[in-house]
Amino acid sequence: MKQIEAQRNILDFTLSSLFRRKGKNTALVLVYTLIVFLLASVMFFTHAIRNEAALTLKDAPEMVVQKLMAGRQDLMPLEYLEKIRAVRGVSSVKGRLWGYYFDPYFGVNYTLMVPGNEQIKPGTIVTGEGISKNRAVEQGDFQAFRAYNNNTLLFQITRVLSSESALLTSDLILMSEQDFRSIFGMPRTHVTDIVLTVKNPRELGTIANKIVQLLPDTRPIMRDEILRTYDSVFNWRGGLLIVILSVSVFCFVIFAWDKASGLGAEERREIGILKAIGWETSDIILMKFWEGVVVSLSAFLLGILLAYAHIFFFSSLLFGPVMKGWSVLYPEFRLVPFIDAYQISTLFFLTVLPYTVATIIPSWRAATIDPDLIMRS
Amino acid sequence: MNKILFAVSIVVLLVSYAAAGDKKPVKPGAHDKCPVCGMFVAKYPDFLAQIIFKDGSYAMFDGPKDMFKYYLNMKAYNPSKKTADIDSVYVTDYYSLTPVDGLKAYYVIGSDVYGPMGRELIPFGKEADAKEFMKDHKGKTIVTFNKVTAVMLKELE
Repeated sequence: MKQIEAQRNILDFTLSSLFRRKGKNTALVLVYTLIVFLLASVMFFTHAIRNEAALTLKDAPEMVVQKLMAGRQDLMPLEYLEKIRAVRGVSSVKGRLWGYYFDPYFGVNYTLMVPGNEQIKPGTIVTGEGISKNRAVEQGDFQAFRAYNNNTLLFQITRVLSSESALLTSDLILMSEQDFRSIFGMPRTHVTDIVLTVKNPRELGTIANKIVQLLPDTRPIMRDEILRTYDSVFNWRGGLLIVILSVSVFCFVIFAWDKASGLGAEERREIGILKAIGWETSDIILMKFWEGVVVSLSAFLLGILLAYAHIFFFSSLLFGPVMKGWSVLYPEFRLVPFIDAYQISTLFFLTVLPYTVATIIPSWRAATIDPDLIMRS
Repeated sequence: MNKILFAVSIVVLLVSYAAAGDKKPVKPGAHDKCPVCGMFVAKYPDFLAQIIFKDGSYAMFDGPKDMFKYYLNMKAYNPSKKTADIDSVYVTDYYSLTPVDGLKAYYVIGSDVYGPMGRELIPFGKEADAKEFMKDHKGKTIVTFNKVTAVMLKELE
């Protein structure tokens, strides 16, 4: 109990001493907050993007098979489906129909897809949120598409998708198979590509090999590979942010070094006086420890809150240049809030801990010198 | 006459049904341990094997190899039971990962596919599947349940 009381008294003193030097300490907290804010923003951003990718791939098929023609993806003939179905270990085979449609009025690409698990009535479509915002259309409205043969096709929007991940469905349009084929003029005998499900993941490699041997003009792509591709795309964007991150870490190192390399004359005097009136060296270190904790913890919490708001409420305003080029369809790109204990603790150990330690060492050095010497100098 | 025929056919049907082993495969629980190697079984559903006794008790294994060790040496592992007490045997088909009748399954020995306990007898419900697997995975032989011997198991160690 007495221990806690002593700590409280020291903390009390620390706070009032911090308050005495209001201007200097506010500036300190502000700089510190800015650094934590930058670090946390980068970290939240890269993690949220990864999370988005993981969401995308959660339901991804184990293997996708594409037909190649002169090294480019080509339409997949339906006979191939049957041949692949016969491969041992393949539990289901499905042809997919999807493609891109360029909208010349808005200058954006849409992803057109025939969903495998739900039936959409011919003449109707289901659109993503981004499209409905971009074209300012709602459920019940009609949308015109120009087909390959210059026919104009009208579709009624029956539903606007609102997914937990905007990245997934923002530019998506779902339609019936019949409409899809009439927009692109795709023959009934072909599909875009094939997805396989394989029960035993150990067999994936063997099955991929067999498919290549059976149909040498195809390319099986495994989920791991899709994952790696996504990862590198997201990592590239993350990489740009790492540059920002390293700059802010560098700033922090200079900042902490400045703090650690010595105390101001005023602070040394204060320590001298405290020692002269009977404070122990350990009390002074404790006081400096509390000082470090108060400054760094408030800056840390403030910085994290600001970063959270920046990334998840203000659509990463400061990272705009990095975000652009993703797609013109994302004027407002909102990431799904995603934070875990790992990120917070990493940030904590990167910022609060070194700072607190950095403030203790010089005060320990000052506290061990004779108070008389300090006060005279 | 017709009634008798009917009754007889019912009895025959029931007997043959029972003889085939009518107990359904059991889902492994978090605490089910392999009686041979002592590992928890639920973590390795892809190689799961089980012996179900007529009284409803069962033994779960993390691979067919351990199941055969148990089966061929029941005196050591479960002295209270005899081979005759076995109702049904289930192993996990490699391709479909579903339980198949272990007594009628085909087992491939010497392949490059390893189970949780190392080299395994890889089970298949269909002979054609086993043959193709043997070709793909450098298997040596295909055996049926009754042909498995202690010597074979020794070689898999």
